[in-house]
Amino acid sequence: MTQTTPFATGAGTGVGSSRSRVGAEGKVRGQLRHVADRPAGGAAHVAVHRSTRPHARIVAIDVSQAAEFEGVDAVVTGADLHAVFGDRMFTGPAFSDQPPLAVDRVRYVGEPVAAVLARDVATAREAAELVYVEYEDLEPVYDVDEALEGRAFVHDRLKPSIVFGDLRHLSGKSETNVAYEYNLRLGDAVTAGSQAAETTAHEFVAPPVHHVPIELPATVAWVEAGRLELFTTTQTPSYVRQAAADMLGLPLSHVRVRVAPLGGSFGSKMYDRLEPLMAALAWTQKREVRIVASREEAFMLTTRHGAKVISSMSTDAEGNIVAATADVRYDTGAFADVGPRITGKSGMIAVGPYRIPNVSITSRCIFTNKPSAGPFRGFGVPQVTWSHESLVDELARSRGEDPVAFRRRNLLREGDEGYMGTVIHSADFVGCLDAVTEAIGWDTPLEPGDRRWRRGRGVAVGIKAVLTPTVANAVLQLNQDGSATLMISTVDMGQGSDTIMPQIVAEVLGVDAEQIRVVAPDTDVTPYDTITAGSRSTYHTGNAVRGVSERMRERILDLAATHTGSRREDLKLDSGAVLNTATGKRYAISELVHEHFGARGATLTEEYNFTTSWQPYDKTTGRSPKVTEHWFAGAAAAQLLVDRKTGRVHVEHLAVAGDVGRAINPALVEQQLRGGGIMGLGHALFDELVFDQGQVLNGTLLDYQVPSVKDMPDRLTPIVVQNPHATGPFGAKGVGETGIIPIAPAVANAVRDAVGVRITRLPLSPERVLQAMNEAGVEE
Amino acid sequence: MRPPLHQPTSLDEACRLLDTLEDPMVYGGGTAIQILIKQGVLFAGNFVDLSRVPGLDAIEETGEGLRVGPMATVRRMERTEIVRCRVPLAAETYGHVANPRVRNTASVGGNIAHGDYRLDPPTALLVLDARVELTSVRGTRTVPIREFFVDFQLTAVEPGELITGILIPAAASGSTSAYVKMSSLGKNDWPAASVAALLDPERRTLRLGLGALAPVPRYVEVALDGGGVDEAVKTALSAVEPELDPIPDIRGSADYKRGLGMVAAEDAVRRAWEDAR
Repeated sequence: MTQTTPFATGAGTGVGSSRSRVGAEGKVRGQLRHVADRPAGGAAHVAVHRSTRPHARIVAIDVSQAAEFEGVDAVVTGADLHAVFGDRMFTGPAFSDQPPLAVDRVRYVGEPVAAVLARDVATAREAAELVYVEYEDLEPVYDVDEALEGRAFVHDRLKPSIVFGDLRHLSGKSETNVAYEYNLRLGDAVTAGSQAAETTAHEFVAPPVHHVPIELPATVAWVEAGRLELFTTTQTPSYVRQAAADMLGLPLSHVRVRVAPLGGSFGSKMYDRLEPLMAALAWTQKREVRIVASREEAFMLTTRHGAKVISSMSTDAEGNIVAATADVRYDTGAFADVGPRITGKSGMIAVGPYRIPNVSITSRCIFTNKPSAGPFRGFGVPQVTWSHESLVDELARSRGEDPVAFRRRNLLREGDEGYMGTVIHSADFVGCLDAVTEAIGWDTPLEPGDRRWRRGRGVAVGIKAVLTPTVANAVLQLNQDGSATLMISTVDMGQGSDTIMPQIVAEVLGVDAEQIRVVAPDTDVTPYDTITAGSRSTYHTGNAVRGVSERMRERILDLAATHTGSRREDLKLDSGAVLNTATGKRYAISELVHEHFGARGATLTEEYNFTTSWQPYDKTTGRSPKVTEHWFAGAAAAQLLVDRKTGRVHVEHLAVAGDVGRAINPALVEQQLRGGGIMGLGHALFDELVFDQGQVLNGTLLDYQVPSVKDMPDRLTPIVVQNPHATGPFGAKGVGETGIIPIAPAVANAVRDAVGVRITRLPLSPERVLQAMNEAGVEE
Repeated sequence: MRPPLHQPTSLDEACRLLDTLEDPMVYGGGTAIQILIKQGVLFAGNFVDLSRVPGLDAIEETGEGLRVGPMATVRRMERTEIVRCRVPLAAETYGHVANPRVRNTASVGGNIAHGDYRLDPPTALLVLDARVELTSVRGTRTVPIREFFVDFQLTAVEPGELITGILIPAAASGSTSAYVKMSSLGKNDWPAASVAALLDPERRTLRLGLGALAPVPRYVEVALDGGGVDEAVKTALSAVEPELDPIPDIRGSADYKRGLGMVAAEDAVRRAWEDAR
């Protein structure tokens, strides 16, 4: 595809303008209506009775007390649903293994076992505690190492869904906790490693963490004239429609999924969360049902995959990386969710954005008896970046070389074929690295601090593939008055899609973006879109929006030629009007459309589809010439102080850079880089879901920590790197995940620089840092 | 079901309610109670809300220092001029409680009645030798703050009693002080160790209040014999060490918290000493 539209901005709100966020005032004033703001009316309020055991057989469930409780309308168990839906009740994006309510067996503490429908929330919750379950304990599997020992199994049989053909071979597999295994083999990493001049090897651990969006998950469901209606907090309305239709055995036309603006998500509101249960309850109970998860329940709904990475990296005498290995173990919890996809897509770049001739990667998605892990900003990549960016830093240091110079020599460049087999384009790793190191003054002398507070600098680079293949559609209605209505199914959850998509339309049509409204996702109205995730929307949906806008432009010009008798080639759009460049005459769009239809308020409609494809990995090498539509490149650099006495880390300056191709809205891009940086800092320093025997110990906001305003670095510098992508809309790519990916290793590398200790387990809590310093004999 | 809420309009009525209701609990700002309700670990039959009892939120200057009503907000302790002038250590310490939203709602009386071992204000109240006034239908009595925190989440408040005032003597003119709060996770988190230090003008006596370092806030007093700050630190730490009995949790092991307590104590002593110059 070639760029046909010039970069001029329409009315100052087109591509490249930092127009302010749509709906910002409503958010600040609390006027924006979220899903839970829908009046409850006569809906039944739903509360869930949850498993108290990590792994057990359900012997019996006694719901009699709960059912007789004043104000309770119904109590529903997994067996009740199974009687209606059979195995159709099991859903999931990769495996059909998640029941909305447990059937026969529970697989984690907190798994839904029974649902209570009552007149109000308090009654429902009180009655849910009156459900009594008799369990027969089964041997639990608490972590990935135990899972691989193969003494106990979370599932008797693997149940890959029909959606992914490449998972079909796993169907019915038993006696394993490995849901999916991805292998990449290039050259001979073992031999090359053994003959290398220097090798560094470690075992890295990143714990499960939670997303903690401000808005809690909520779903309302009802049945209207034989159709199911869902009003829900989801990033994946098209997926939810399909899943509900499959479960209820309905045509897609009979399931409607609507979404209100989300108050943050970060991957937590995707695929099968509250929706399958609510769809099943509305359908079987024939009434409107409503649930707003409590904060404590939200911690049980999904987590980020904990991961262990056993890895090595080797260099020759000249400082060229010659071999790298990684054994990646993702803890996917009780259900596969999208774990198999994370395992492959993140496994394939597990040794970093480097030119490496000999690579061996094994990446496994492993079941344990924990809450199901799912997507989280970064899609598994931060966990492997934690490994490769720590390793490469250590390797540089063992050579006595500047870690930046060592990386620069080995980073992938434009046009290189990466070890995964795909070519690098519009992903300027070196540019990002240079930008962040310059920002923190990497080459200026470092004042080392005093006896107590030691100063250090660290850097890290990140690579991620965009979600591929995916489908995006856009429908544009040009209203007679020149305003426009854009129908897409991209969910705005704070990333700003409702702000930037109109900028693309404005750019093409030369109109003011303020005149363009984006319709809230509604599967009855807005067209199919794979998902809003994986930093894919700016590129994919953005391309669909650009395509539909260009069709609309041609339509208007055709119309103008017909109605004004002008030559088509003399016409162009100019600030809300059609300009005849030969005569200098201007024709207002509003008048042209009015004249065309003979009606005020009429609309012109166009649609456009944008679809990307990939080539699946080779079965033996794990390589593919087109594993992704494009790459994201990012880098972070940190300057910080470490308290020798307490182990506490204080970040003085954090610089975060991302190559975004081209920024549609530079202010929003900077906010994404900042937001990713701050979230990453939490993961680096204290964010962690702590488990003891399958039980979450800190599943409340009293105990679970996310960065507050007091945890901000003294300085936070976002840097927008722009190398336009050949097929991006105006050269643009996404940026939602780029910022978070390199943060934790940049911080750990700076701690290494400051006090000489290499920490391989996240987070870098003060206790862990202090213990490492004491063990290493760092002097006070 | 949630306990019924009673809203007396006089102190007498409040005392009568506390005397006659079954399992009553005083409701102040509610910031602790609401969390306990949410966690399902609150056991009370009735709430007695003090917000309509006039005069309970006064902060008054007295001959010895201050008298603070139980319904004064934590935020007012941080910001009110007479608190900042008369007991600057108290103002500083109250300013470290949670965040501004909580400080604007939480009450001074409810704060200490909650009795959590990690609270900030008790550390300052201990070194300032505050007294707690308790009232019931039986009359009024006063308990030294140093005897107020009895055991893990247990205070000297007897059934039927409510806190009607905290009496805080001003430190001698020329005294210097500091409050050091150390968290191990986010900076806005509960402390993993906190220490308030108060040094008399002649630098003869050093008083320390320890928070989060034992099942109850602890008080330590040491006599100094004219040495320098290093000497004072050494003396203080040897007195503090045996008092440390931290509870291990996700914020750190007992060993780590013990070490953190020693660092916090040293930092507090040095800052109080510097403050004297």
